Order: sequence, then structure tokens, then C-alpha cells
Amino acid sequence: MPRLALILCVAVLLSACGGGSAAGSSFEPAKPGVLTVATAFLPAPGFWMGQPATKGFEAEFASALAKKLGLDRVQVVQVPFGQIIQGKLHGADLALSQLTPTEEREHSVDFSTPYLSAPPGVLARIGVDAADTHDLRDLQWVVSRLSTLTPVVMDRIRPTKTPIEVDDRTEALEVLRSGSANALMLDLPVALGLARDEPGLFHVLGQLDGDADIAAALPNGSDNREIVDSTIRALQADGTVDGLFSRWFGTSADDVPLILTEQRR
Amino acid sequence: MTLYTIEAPSGPVFEFFILFAVILFGPIIFTRFRLPGLIGLMLGGFVIGAHGLGWIGAGNHTVPELGHLGLLYLMFVAGLELDLRLLRDYKRAAVALGLLAFAIPVAGALLAGWAMGWSLSATFLLGALCSSHTLITYPRLREAGLGGSPAIASAVGATVLTDTLALIVLALVAGTETGSGSPALIVGEIALGFAVLIVVGLIVLPRAVDAAFRLWGADRVARYLLIIVALLFMSVLAEVFGIEAIVGAFFAGLALNRLVPNEGPSMERVEFFGAAVFVPVFVVSIGLLLDPSVMFTGETLGLAAVICGVAISGKAIACWLAGTLLGFSRPERVGMFVLTVPQAAATLAVTLIGFEIGLFSTSVVNAVLVLIVVSIVLSAVLAEKVIDWIPTKLEETRPLGGSVLVLTRSGGPSDAAVRAAMLLSRPDGGYSNVLITRTEDQPRLDRAAIRDIEERICRHGFDGHVRTEVSGLPDALAKELRAGGPSLVVVDDPGFDGAAGRVPLLVVNGSATRLIVDAEDGVADEVARRLARRL
Repeated sequence: MPRLALILCVAVLLSACGGGSAAGSSFEPAKPGVLTVATAFLPAPGFWMGQPATKGFEAEFASALAKKLGLDRVQVVQVPFGQIIQGKLHGADLALSQLTPTEEREHSVDFSTPYLSAPPGVLARIGVDAADTHDLRDLQWVVSRLSTLTPVVMDRIRPTKTPIEVDDRTEALEVLRSGSANALMLDLPVALGLARDEPGLFHVLGQLDGDADIAAALPNGSDNREIVDSTIRALQADGTVDGLFSRWFGTSADDVPLILTEQRR
Repeated sequence: MTLYTIEAPSGPVFEFFILFAVILFGPIIFTRFRLPGLIGLMLGGFVIGAHGLGWIGAGNHTVPELGHLGLLYLMFVAGLELDLRLLRDYKRAAVALGLLAFAIPVAGALLAGWAMGWSLSATFLLGALCSSHTLITYPRLREAGLGGSPAIASAVGATVLTDTLALIVLALVAGTETGSGSPALIVGEIALGFAVLIVVGLIVLPRAVDAAFRLWGADRVARYLLIIVALLFMSVLAEVFGIEAIVGAFFAGLALNRLVPNEGPSMERVEFFGAAVFVPVFVVSIGLLLDPSVMFTGETLGLAAVICGVAISGKAIACWLAGTLLGFSRPERVGMFVLTVPQAAATLAVTLIGFEIGLFSTSVVNAVLVLIVVSIVLSAVLAEKVIDWIPTKLEETRPLGGSVLVLTRSGGPSDAAVRAAMLLSRPDGGYSNVLITRTEDQPRLDRAAIRDIEERICRHGFDGHVRTEVSGLPDALAKELRAGGPSLVVVDDPGFDGAAGRVPLLVVNGSATRLIVDAEDGVADEVARRLARRL
């Protein structure tokens, strides 16, 4: 009798192994067996690389997400950044496009739990140096109208020269490459990716204190948000995210010097 | 006059202001409505969080990180406060109840998890959270004079076992979920980690901290910081072996259990900072996860019903079975249930870790918050019934070394008297105080003199209060005994010849001692034997 009870218990335990997803939620993909991911910038150094774009932090993060969610593969669709933040994901399950959650954007999309910390990072041309706010202030900045980091440059750095204003990140990088400007504020992982991609041209001067993050965007009211959140936390806990970060950005964010600026408001 | 610089408040200073306002007012408001302050903190966290007013945003790192420190502190205090003497005195009953109170909820959780299609890891974690419990109602029962009831004492002792087993399950689940390598390697690493935690926690750390207390113990700040360093050291040590830090924190509490007696001044400080800052911040950080749009859905409420059913019925069955096996009456079994059903500290810890490693979704976290509220309210209501039901309010048997008073004349206590007090109080998890008496014509002891005495006696591991009184030694003794304070008095006056009473008096004369006690022969002999064993 005790043996029978033991066998029953083991059977119960083994059959319970069947459920692979987090307790209390499940994932419903737009296409069966496929995780459809929208992204804006292809290629995006460090995040989406290769042809097709299967390498880079977000590309491999998408694969890890799909695997953890029990899906067979990832399909990538390119969607303009402006449309992603307006909630137009073109049928994708989610968007991975170095997106920083903001209150305004949350009206159009649902953000997942963050998968990367993204304090402001200063990308500068090689040869340009700055150790403190005073030095940063004297640089020639380029800012993008769509970026959430433009107010950081204007309010916390307060440049002495009027920054060059462009429409988006791609144009800002062109200005920086041309030498018309010598500093650009980006999310730190994005800056690290670009510096690693073009080491002869760019380097990361430092990071500013900030608690911004990078998260996935899901269609407003998506039922998949809970399971995506749980899966992201699982990938953070088992070291997948850290592993991808060091593989694609080559350094830990903690190793980038912190430049103290006026207290954040 | 321009007012263009006036802005809506934001930033770290504003966030701290909001956080501490919740910590202050949350419990005050809720206790007015006779609801536990803990619920006020949780709901306060929700109000200021991303799902409420949004004053502390979803991306905020400060409050969750501070909350993580609070979680370690909470588990540390849980280990520190446990009355290990009760586990020793009611070993058989405590072990029986502890094992049943762990195994039955775990079995229930395994069935529930299997029925809901959860992964094995999530199911075991559900078992760990349902099987652990927090002695929230114990102070109320002890206050009502039920602390000496064997059933109540057994339930308190059982907590050591139940919570340790729950944390072992947590360590195994979290380790296998987050570790890399084969499962056998991970389990081996965790087993090695537990062996190291046990050896360090039971042997190395208590000795090291005791030695440090003797060296720097008179400095209260240093004493407190030593406790915090010990807590964090054990937490880090656990993490080194892939075990959750809260397990190390709990072991740190057990390790320092005897060195930081529950009624002593060090414990007062630990509890003060815990109650004022660390633990409330943790509970508020949990409240930040509370999401009404998730909680008040059929799915979450259904989940809450299942989890409540598993945890509450599991504890009820365990107490009923253990009570029957041990011959406890029905009210006593309910008393055991009242102590083992409240879910708070370890439950929150396990839930948060399950959430952080992606095993639990927001629905589960919100369902567990329902369990916490239901179990606390249920136990608080039943506790009042139990106090009525158990007719004989049994006097709690005070351990011999529970509260030792060293009574001395104006020069301060001798080293021999303090050493004797420490040897007598520590095995019972007790504490010692010193009362220095002087006559009116003797010089007054100023602060510096008392400080010198404290420094000297702290070298013997003393952790108590030093008081002075203008009174003759016999009068001071009579007053203390009338107040019912000490369980044993060490009289540091070889010539003392007072009358025997029910509280044993141990007269110290260098290395020699003399016992004065008014008790039947057998009892007096037993007291003498116990004292001789410890000295």
C-alpha cells in the first residue's frame, strides 16, 4: 500500500512537469508556433545584425523568448519606429526595438517588464573627452526630435552651443559620423552597441544617473503581457539576459563611468 | 513675481517622502479599523505605485532594491525571534506538527498545481509558500497567558522546522531554475551550500560574533552594525552556492538567536529598525505589485480561492492530525491552527522570488496577497475565540535563565557575577540586566562611570541594561521580586543573607556560589543541579 501511494505521488509529480509556462498565464501567438516580432531599425548594431537579422541582443533575446514560450521560431517584421510607438505592430505579437516606456507611449501600447536598464549614455567621436558636466556642456551635441533623451541633454547638460536638431536616431548618427557634432545622448546599451560596431569612430564617454529601461511593446490590452513579463523575468534570473549583454556589448553597464549631473527632477 | 520654477514634485526625495508617509500612515489608519497594519502598508504601496496614483513608477529601482534588503531583514528577524527553547522542550510534538504542517500543504499544492497544469517548479514553489507560516498571533496568545500551553508551545517550536523546510524547497526550485549545469550538479551545489550554511551558522558565526561583541559590544552602534554585517555575510554566502539570499538571512537569524536574546537591548534595536524602515519598505514594495485590473478578474480570484483552500485546509488538517496524535483537546488544536495559518513573512518572500524568477505571474502574486489578507484576518478572529475556549489560562513556565538580574553594590558587578549571569541566561535564550544599588551617602555613579562598567561587563558577552538605584541591596531585591521581573537573581555580595523566596537567588563569591530558594526539596535540588551544570 505505501509503495502504491509512492508510485502515485511520483506519477503526479512527473505529469505535473508537462506545463512549461509560468504559473497563472499562457501565450497565444498571432501565428501558431511562431513568435512574430516587430522592430524598427534593421540593422541596429548590437541589437539586430546579420542578413537575415538573427544576431544581436534583441534578435537572440527574441529567440530565447520564443523557446521559453514553447514556440518553434521567430519571424521579424520591420515597422517604422513612429508606428510602433503608436501601437501599429503590423500583426506582430510584440515589438523589440530598444523601446523606452513612457507615459505617453503607454496610451498606445502595453509595455512588458523591462529587460534592460537604459540610463542615458554619451556616445562621442573618438578623441572627444569629458569627465564631468562642465566638459559635457562645451561639446557640440546632436539631438533627435523623437528621442526621450533630448530633454536630458537640454535640462541636465544645458549645452553652451545650440545642439543640432534632427528627426531621428539614424540622422543623428549621420551628423555625428560627419563630424558636425561630437556627442549624442542615447540609451546606454544602444550607445555601447554602436561604439562596439564602429570602434574607430565612436566611444562611450560615460553614463548619467537615470532609471529608464528598455522593454518590449505589446498591442494595447494584449492577453500575452503576463506571460511575456514572467518569461522576461525568468530569462533575467537564469542569466540569459546578462550573457547576451556581455556578448553583444562587451562590457557591463557598471563599468561605464558615471558622470554626476544636477539632481534629476 | 514669477512662479514659473514651481513644478509638480518628482525625483528621489519626493519618492522617499511618499514611501515613508505610507509607512507612517498606512498602519495607523488600518489599525484604527482593527485591521492589521500590514494590510495598510500593502494597500499604501498599491496607492502610490504604478497601478495606483503612479507616484512611484514601474521603472523605479530604489524602492524594490530597498525592499529586497527589507526582505532579508524580515527573514533574519524571523530566525532571530524563534524560541529555540520551545523546540527543545517540546521536541516530539514540535517535530510531529512541523512535519505535518509542511507536508500536507505541500501535498495539496502538488495536486492543485498538477490540476492547473503548472510546471513542476512552480508547483513546488506553491507548496513552499503554502507550507510556511508566520507567528503573527503568538504575541496575542502569549499576552493572554497561553504561552505555556503545550499545544501553543509546540506550534511555536514547529515553526522552526516548517519554515526551514519551506526555504529548502525554495532554494532547490530557485537554484534549478536559475542555475546553469546539470540538475545533479545544481542539487549538489545547493546541498554543499546548505552544509556550509549549517556549519558556519551553527559553529563559526556565533563564535565570531560573540568574540566581536565582547570586543566592541559596549558600542551600541558597532553592536548593531555587527548584526547587520552577519546578516549580509550569510546572505552572500548563500548566494555563492546558488541559494537564495533569504535562506542565508534566515540561517543568520538562527545563528545569532542565542546571542541576541528576544528581550535584550540589541533585539530592541533590531526590531526598531526593522519595524520603522526595513520591513515596511519591503511590504510597500510588494504592494507596488498589487494590480486591481489583475486581482479582480475571475482568473485571479479563482486562483486565490485555490491557493487559500490549499494553504488553509492544509494547515487545518495538519493541526487536527497532529493534535489527535499528540492528545491535544479541540480548542488546543484550533490554537495550533491559529498560530500556523497566518501567511506573511516567508510566504511573501517565496512569492516575490517566484515572481522574480518568472515562475509566478502577476495573477499568482495578487492571489497570494488575497491569501495573506484572508489568513491574517482569519487567525486574528480565531485567536480571540481560542483565548475564550481554553479555560485555564496556564502560567507560562519561565525558564530559569529567561531573565537574570545581577544585583550588586555601588562598585558595579564583579566579573564572576556577570560571567555566571551569562552562563545561566544564554542556554534559555534569556537576557541579563544589572542593578547597582547604593546608599544615599555613597557617591553617585555618573554617566562615564556607568559607561566604564558597561565596557567591562560587555567583554563577558553581556547584552542588557545597567541601572542604578538609591536603595539598600535587600530593599532593591524585594522591590524587583514584587515587580515579578527576574526569573533568577545573581546576588553579587558574598555576605548576603536574605530570606528564601520562589525566585532562586544565587549568591556569588568569586568562583564559589550559594543557592537560596524556597521550594520543595526535589525542586530545589533540581534547580541546584541545573545551575551547577551551566556553571
